[in-house]
Amino acid sequence: MSRRQRYEPNIKKNSTFTLNITSMTDMFTIMLVFLLQTYSTSEVQIVPDSNLRLPTSASMANPTEAVKISLSSEALKIDQTKIADVKNADFLPQDLEDKDANFIKPLFEELDKLAKSSSDKAHIKEGRILLQADKELPYATLRKVMYTASMAGFPQLKLVTMVGE
Amino acid sequence: MRRIRKIKVDHNSEFELDLAPLLAVMVKLVPVLLVSSAFVQMMVIETELPQVVNEAIQRQDQQQTPTNVALEVDGKDGIRIVITEKGQEKVETIPLRDGAFDYPGLHQKLIAVKKAHPEVFKIELNPDGKVPYNEIVKIMDEARQAHDTNVKFPVFDTKQGKNVETNYMFPEIIFANMMEG
Repeated sequence: MSRRQRYEPNIKKNSTFTLNITSMTDMFTIMLVFLLQTYSTSEVQIVPDSNLRLPTSASMANPTEAVKISLSSEALKIDQTKIADVKNADFLPQDLEDKDANFIKPLFEELDKLAKSSSDKAHIKEGRILLQADKELPYATLRKVMYTASMAGFPQLKLVTMVGE
Repeated sequence: MRRIRKIKVDHNSEFELDLAPLLAVMVKLVPVLLVSSAFVQMMVIETELPQVVNEAIQRQDQQQTPTNVALEVDGKDGIRIVITEKGQEKVETIPLRDGAFDYPGLHQKLIAVKKAHPEVFKIELNPDGKVPYNEIVKIMDEARQAHDTNVKFPVFDTKQGKNVETNYMFPEIIFANMMEG
């Protein structure tokens, strides 16, 4: 018999081991603080369009409930529903009234429908509009939207801008 | 004699805090906040104003011939400030600087206009059809509030019966040429 004793590692089977989670908790705490900071406090959720670049402004007013109109370089939308096409930073001739080149027919019809169907809502009664428009668009195109909206009985226009710069 | 049992206290021992429940809470909280957090902060340019300023605007509306301040924005000539006072028109031009609008120059001119007419809160904006939306928003930024917090304008508050200071210049912006063809 050999005198040498066989080396037996001291492993206890069925033992539970503790994971060192201190560093992970550290990381989560930092993340939690960061996310709490960016947590949006405004009551209205504005969904930004993918191909729409909002202008930046120093305004610090939170958005309120209103009819959301977005005007990108491709389409005019109310609450994500496409109303009219935009090409070369202008509306198509068939969407505009013949005698009044500032009047967008589909937008007026849609806003009129909204005003009649849900007139009990405060923001529609007061005629509030949140306009998100691409910063590269000329004023002439925007004016058509403003003009039509005010004709449809929505005179309170609010321009959505981004914080920054 | 009874022997007193000695309690062994090892002052150098380390104990481990059970962080598992804390971690469980965080794992749930982080996704919830991730979903509801807004990474792009959006604000609006609004027409709502502080109470004092609002009342002053109402008083201004009651006047028969109010002083009118208008901004004409043109991509070629720059920005013209047109002040109509008692039927008389005064025009000041802020020319383009290096092909772009001179915003600091406009701001300084507007502060001077506001100092001369502290009762005016309304400004009319007449941009040319070709002016990009971005430039209009920047002009509105210059007109709304004085950037320098030391610059204050007196506003008469009817409730308190005394002058209150504000750094709002022309918070009520109207697109005056919207109805024109």
